[in-house]
Amino acid sequence: MAKFFGVDKVVRFFQIVRDNGGIRGSLRALYRRDELKSGTLIGEDKYGNRYFENNMHFYGRNRWVEYADHVGLDYNASQVPPEWFGWLHYKTDLPPYKDPSRPNYKWMLDHTENMTGTRDAYMPYSTTRPKIEAWKPK
Amino acid sequence: MLRLPLIRAAGLSGCRLGATGLHTTASKLQAPPEQIEVFIDDIPVLVDPGTTVLQAAAKIGVEIPRFCYHERLAVAGNCRMCLVEIEKQIKPVAACAMPVMKGWRVKTNSDLTRKAREGVMEFLLVNHPLDCPICDQGGECDLQDQSMAFGNDRSRFVDINFSGKRAVEDKDVGPLIKTVMTRCIHCTRCIRFASEVAGVDDLGTTGRGSDMQVGTYVEKMFLSELSGNVIDLCPVGALTSKPYAFVARPWETRRTDSIDVLDAVGSNIVVSTRSGEVLRVLPRLNEEINEEWLSDKSRFACDGLKRQRLLTPMMKVDSKLQPVEWEDALVAASRALQQAPATKIAAVTGKLADAEALISLKDLFNKLGSETLATEQPFPKDGAGIDLRSSYIMNNKIAGIEEADVVVLIGTNPRFEAPLVNTRLRKSYLHREQTIALIGPEVDLTYEYEHLGDSAEVISQLKNGTHPFCATLKNAKAPLIILGAEQLGRSDGSKILAETQALAASLGKTVQAPENWKVLNVLHSNASQVAALDLGYGSSLAEIKAQNPQVLFLLGADDADIKREDFPNTFIIYLGSHGDQGACIADVVLPGAAYTEKNASYVNTEGRAQQTGTAVNPPGMARPDWKIIRALSEFIGVRLPYDTIHDVRGRLEQVAPHLVRYGDIEPANYFAQALELAKKTGSFASDPLELKQKTLDEFFMTDVVSRASPTMAKCVQAVIKQRQAQL
Amino acid sequence: MATVQIFRQTGKQLLGAARCAVATSPSIRNKYYIVTPPEESMEWNDVTDRAVNNMFLLEIFRGMGITFSYLLREPATINYPFEKGPLSPRFRGEHALRRYPSGEERCIACKLCEAICPAQAITIEAEERPDGSRRTTRYDIDMTKCIYCGFCQEACPVDAIVEGPNFEFSTETHEEMLYNKEKLLNNGDKWESEIAANIQADHLYR
Repeated sequence: MAKFFGVDKVVRFFQIVRDNGGIRGSLRALYRRDELKSGTLIGEDKYGNRYFENNMHFYGRNRWVEYADHVGLDYNASQVPPEWFGWLHYKTDLPPYKDPSRPNYKWMLDHTENMTGTRDAYMPYSTTRPKIEAWKPK
Repeated sequence: MLRLPLIRAAGLSGCRLGATGLHTTASKLQAPPEQIEVFIDDIPVLVDPGTTVLQAAAKIGVEIPRFCYHERLAVAGNCRMCLVEIEKQIKPVAACAMPVMKGWRVKTNSDLTRKAREGVMEFLLVNHPLDCPICDQGGECDLQDQSMAFGNDRSRFVDINFSGKRAVEDKDVGPLIKTVMTRCIHCTRCIRFASEVAGVDDLGTTGRGSDMQVGTYVEKMFLSELSGNVIDLCPVGALTSKPYAFVARPWETRRTDSIDVLDAVGSNIVVSTRSGEVLRVLPRLNEEINEEWLSDKSRFACDGLKRQRLLTPMMKVDSKLQPVEWEDALVAASRALQQAPATKIAAVTGKLADAEALISLKDLFNKLGSETLATEQPFPKDGAGIDLRSSYIMNNKIAGIEEADVVVLIGTNPRFEAPLVNTRLRKSYLHREQTIALIGPEVDLTYEYEHLGDSAEVISQLKNGTHPFCATLKNAKAPLIILGAEQLGRSDGSKILAETQALAASLGKTVQAPENWKVLNVLHSNASQVAALDLGYGSSLAEIKAQNPQVLFLLGADDADIKREDFPNTFIIYLGSHGDQGACIADVVLPGAAYTEKNASYVNTEGRAQQTGTAVNPPGMARPDWKIIRALSEFIGVRLPYDTIHDVRGRLEQVAPHLVRYGDIEPANYFAQALELAKKTGSFASDPLELKQKTLDEFFMTDVVSRASPTMAKCVQAVIKQRQAQL
Repeated sequence: MATVQIFRQTGKQLLGAARCAVATSPSIRNKYYIVTPPEESMEWNDVTDRAVNNMFLLEIFRGMGITFSYLLREPATINYPFEKGPLSPRFRGEHALRRYPSGEERCIACKLCEAICPAQAITIEAEERPDGSRRTTRYDIDMTKCIYCGFCQEACPVDAIVEGPNFEFSTETHEEMLYNKEKLLNNGDKWESEIAANIQADHLYR
């Protein structure tokens, strides 16, 4: 009956607002993400990004990331570390902490976001010696 | 030595020896035997008796795969890759070793042949490592190519954990050759090359069957002036170039045909470059000059092209050379040349100068009113000296050496001054029973020779018939004299030349063999020398020193004994590619191009004009030498009338037409006149004939390029180390 | 009324078609459609219908209704930086040079990738390392030349060069896209977790 009149939608709306931290929280979330969603927290990576899943949404929208709070509006798609990349892109259903096959070598580096436009942006340089050595007068 | 067994083999089956691909002229002299007809893949072909199946097939363009067979080496017949089916024979036969018989029908593409090849391929690959990605031979590997063409398309080698694959320890054979002996397929080409061509019996095999190993028997380095050729000969990646290790793949390099200028032979080379860098130098086939060999210096000194280079013009500022702009350097140089009187300017050219630079410099100096142009290596001016070309070139040509039966070497060590002339001598010694005699210091020439003494007097004795060797000379049908140009720089140089000319003339009377047989040959060691003499560089360093010039122009002259102390108040202009002795003493340094960086003409010791190709651009601000001289002339105000290389060559043609007839030799035949002119005689100096290059370590570093080369330095170290170890 | 109209229209068309079919020869073209809009009916009923439609903006309201309904529906697009689309393990993104588990770089400078690269984006220079192994000194990829065909990773005999999963590497300047060896190795070190997972996911098929 409630469903017939669409009341469940209203209920869900209020549930989502509650999950996002009340009206103020929801407005902030809406401002930052353009969208209000709630789902189960699957995990959090070491950079503070949180990963959610809600299979009520269709495939392609049922997994999402909430970027770490400290980045504010400077979130960036490249902030997702490789460990969670596969899960977020639906390559695997196993979150990294449940996936035993993921290697963890000591030479592996921490993830960095795309640094373009910042001072830390990569700039190419030669990795070889100069080809011709000049003579230096004594 | 190798000589006796081969002669015996020749005695047993003369045709067999001819068939081994030793391109001698013996067959020309004998009456041609009747040809026999064989059928290769049903195509009839007429061949001389004694021709092998492989050669008969090559005659009609049927290529039979091979690993061990090489045209210039003895037949080994041990790789079995060339197995072919012959009708009415139950077993396939090795095409490289089997002389054809009349009416044979050879099938080079039958099922049996293909199966035989596949089987051989499989056996070769059983023990060959699959390391093509890290193998330097990759892309130019005979085994790769032939397994693609003739191998099976699937493997029966399924046991990937098989541990019985042969693994052989690598050998340390010196700083030039890198060995990965596991890759060796035992074709023994390197061994045959070492003992037949290089004359160093260092390589050999030990063990048999799958225990067979190619090595040096004892811990020893394979040091020879021709060792680099085994790299080209090796059909797989067992012997590769050490300086070139892992540097590039054959498909990514650009190849430029060029000429080697580090000795006066003028070997034809291919310069491999990639992105403005010379990576390696390979020999190019030229039957008249270097066949397909190349000396180690020419091959490996190319890394010297990247060191010690002059990249910017330099000028003495506060008595220290500082990099400056072209304009400043040219202005300084031109001011010095303008201010000096014509009698007080002089020029010396080095051994790597090209004909274009030589003519520009000469034209410039002539315009300034000076004729004091000297070559680094002195050549006697009096007598016929430089006026008659026949007295300073190798009149018989390099290939002509093979036709001589008695050779007298005077004051030269061809092994190191011109290694590829020495291979001809050794070849004729081995296969044509050439008698070789030497006047000068006793050196190892890789073949036996009669040592006639080390005094210049011996020449006179030979001429007068008072020397015991004269008996041999008298019976010679085609005698040959090779005079080292180094001796002509002695104080009695003109006497030596005159006496040698007289000796040659007296021998010339007894010549029976071919028409136009000339006897006198001068072996130069400087690539620029013949062109300079052709163009009339007639002065000498002694004259210049006596003149005490105000301005001295050095065109890459680094090897002459020019010291600052001799020219205390002289303004020295150096034009060259490398910072060496010349640049050290210069007031103005103009950076020129090295021989791989310019299209330039060189004339080798035979008088054969050849041109180098521009493989890379000159580095930094360096420019081709003639352009610099042309620019300088404009600054001085005596503009030289040529703007392009074609104009310069046009000028060359005016002066000496043969300098632009590339590849050809202009024969010179003024021996009688030269002898006439040489009549006024001096006397021999008492000191014995001396040589600069007597041992292998003296061979490697003789010019600016090879002196700048780290590889050559390593070679010298290795030779010295080996010598000390043997003592 | 409308149905009658439709019938009338089609009836006319059918008749026309029949007439046409009779008139022309049956062999080549006997079927055609009238593509010009039919003449507007000038019957009184139709004229009033159209007038009402126009005057009360009925079509606008209908359209707005549809638009409003989409406001309440779930959007069909994904909210990109937060939600991401599905990706194949074979996806060919940003290049990376991998290492062996020991930390030794895999690339042996065989230059097969350089040879096969159809865009000639790869430049390799190599030399012998002091320990005698064959390694590159330069491994440059011009990512702006690269066409992301994946031939390089197919050609690689040691799985050193791979096209990783990352596609979020766009830059503001051209220079930043000229990757050198160190950048590629760093990419590999950062992305190894995902690259290894991709290879694992795909290993049955190669």
